[in-house]
Amino acid sequence: MTTETRPDYEQEWRENLEKVGIVRRMLSGRKWFGVDWWLVAISAVMVLAFIIIGIFPGWFAPYSPDIPVGPGFLAPGASPALPVLVSLSTSGITELSDLETPSGAPRPEVGVVKGVPTAQALNEQARELNSQLSGTGKELRPRIVRFDTLEEALQGVVDGTVLAAVVQSNEYEAVAGDFPTVVEGKSVTGGTASQGGFILGTNRIGQDVFSRLIWGTRIALIVGFSASLVALFLGVPIGLFAGFVGGKLDRFIGVIMDSLYSFPGLILAIAITAVLGPSVLNVIVAIAVLYIPTYYRIVRGQTLSVKEETYIEAARSIGARRREILTKYIYPNVIPSVAIIFSVNVADAILTGAGLSFLGLGLPPDIADWGIDIAQGRLVIQSAWWLITFPGLAIMMVVLAFTMMGEGLMEIFNPKLRER
Amino acid sequence: MDDVLYSIRNLDVRYATRFGDVLAVEDVSLDIRRGEILGLVGESGCGKSTLGKAIMRLIRTPGRIAGGELWFDGNDLMTYSDKQMRDVRGGEIGMVFQDPMTSLNPVQRVVEHLTETIRTHEPKVSDLAATARAEELVEKLGIRRERLDDYPHQLSGGMRQRVMISLALALHTKLLIADEPTTSLDVIVEAKFLDLLRELRDEFDLTILMITHNIGVVAEVADRVAVMYAGRMAEVGDVYSVFANPKHPYTTGLLSSVPNIDLAEHDLYKMEGSPPNLLRPPTGCPFHPRCPKAMEVCARELPVFREVADGQSTACWLYNEAEVSNG
Repeated sequence: MTTETRPDYEQEWRENLEKVGIVRRMLSGRKWFGVDWWLVAISAVMVLAFIIIGIFPGWFAPYSPDIPVGPGFLAPGASPALPVLVSLSTSGITELSDLETPSGAPRPEVGVVKGVPTAQALNEQARELNSQLSGTGKELRPRIVRFDTLEEALQGVVDGTVLAAVVQSNEYEAVAGDFPTVVEGKSVTGGTASQGGFILGTNRIGQDVFSRLIWGTRIALIVGFSASLVALFLGVPIGLFAGFVGGKLDRFIGVIMDSLYSFPGLILAIAITAVLGPSVLNVIVAIAVLYIPTYYRIVRGQTLSVKEETYIEAARSIGARRREILTKYIYPNVIPSVAIIFSVNVADAILTGAGLSFLGLGLPPDIADWGIDIAQGRLVIQSAWWLITFPGLAIMMVVLAFTMMGEGLMEIFNPKLRER
Repeated sequence: MDDVLYSIRNLDVRYATRFGDVLAVEDVSLDIRRGEILGLVGESGCGKSTLGKAIMRLIRTPGRIAGGELWFDGNDLMTYSDKQMRDVRGGEIGMVFQDPMTSLNPVQRVVEHLTETIRTHEPKVSDLAATARAEELVEKLGIRRERLDDYPHQLSGGMRQRVMISLALALHTKLLIADEPTTSLDVIVEAKFLDLLRELRDEFDLTILMITHNIGVVAEVADRVAVMYAGRMAEVGDVYSVFANPKHPYTTGLLSSVPNIDLAEHDLYKMEGSPPNLLRPPTGCPFHPRCPKAMEVCARELPVFREVADGQSTACWLYNEAEVSNG
């Protein structure tokens, strides 16, 4: 008989627990089955959050993950340079439309700095506004005056050589203190400097790192869950069957599973994806094959022990068929341990999936995936730390959440597995 | 109608091990009569439970029924197919196991156990009808029908054992094999349980084979008693005759080893030695190394199991003197 060695002490705290209120129970819950309940609670919240993000990435991601939305290599929190209008505080000019003049009047002169793309932005915006004004008797046709440096341009504004200037916002901010009479107006392209920031920066081609992170959650979860589910749906029946039937068949399956298990996991996955070619489905297949033995082993072991229980003998004594014994008696008693390792397994599969795409195998390169992002960011690690840091953190958090939840549940539901 | 419900003839059960076959049951013949409660007693490991399982052909590999005949109600069970055997199990022969804590499926409600048993054997019965039958049955056994929706862990040991009986009786069981049904129950529950068994025997026309190592239980409920030793039948007889006048020295020893409040002042009899290794049983009578009355012939040859008094059979050279002198 598998009598617990500590029923007295367990009984005692169970009874003590009955006496206190729900809040106290949760707080003294450290004692519940020896697991820190808050560990499970936190991880459950994290898992839930990741799942919601994975299902609805559009709700959280400010930009599309695929198209360049800003300048490349923008650091986290840094604003992209905007072409802003600067003028004397007394002039009252804050936006481009303030430069309107009656048709035929002298054109206002606006300064720009050579070699900076503000002139083009100014030209384009002015032409568009001008076309809207046709027929109203007004026009917006600033004359562009080019300066060699930013300081010269600003001095031009102060001196009145030009009415205003269009400069890069970030460069202007650095020298703004030297020109107290000059004020910053609005961006000529619309929007202000504070808007349009990329909180985690941008990558080489100007995609938003944060948006890619959000969308990467989806692919990570798809790979993790699908691979684990496929492994579960194959491994559990095989384990049940092998454990129940036993004999030569069991030994045969056992040898196959053990050889799969003993093979270095990532290398096997690499080999499979290399053969199958890059696609999400193939990554799922490769990882699933990797984890079949995990389920097989757990389920077979449990089946072997459940098979010897008296209630199986009792089932046989009432004339139950073998199939019934397997489905109604053994299976329901085996499945809880599977549910617990599933969570840990998802975490593992996500890690392996990220590893595969980091190596450039498996996922097509146009997919927003953490592994791919890290692989690309790796090349510029010295200048753009944020490119690998955030996807790396994301992987860590997801894996941590799932593992913690799995381990916590395992300790709560199955104390016997604790020493596994 | 035949007086004998179940007849075991020269049954051999062997377990294959790395060191050779273990003779768990050897050359056992036993008749179970209709309507009786037959107590089967013996030390641990003497083959009682194996015999009980063999009666239902529930011996699993590495064990096997190596020889002998099993006649149930005039039918040769050894010729039955697996399908026919399943119909017999639970249908005509029911079994109650030693540990009620582990003999119910922990993830099934009590009612599911019962309806499943009924529907295994009578697939046409609807779930509702099966539930109704289950309710009726458990009420007869003294379990409130509300408890049917409970899971096994919510029931007490005595209740679970009653549920086990109701499972065994769910159909029209003729023979109930109770394998140490009271071992894990406390004495009060045990006494109630034994009363229940007797009532059920009368109400359901049951025949009960009570496997136990508790002589007191046998004395309490059994009509006849069979004593096994080292896989062989040592003595079979009417419970009063056997207890009053045991023939086999092993039975004598067993009876004097029973703790008794009256005997508190006396030392309990302790039998010498321990049961033999069934992998290599001693030559001759398996009991001779421990037997206080062993003779020279005992070590050499196996005594024949035969009737030595009215309704009392034993396998012992003490009662085979004629043959001894002849041989």
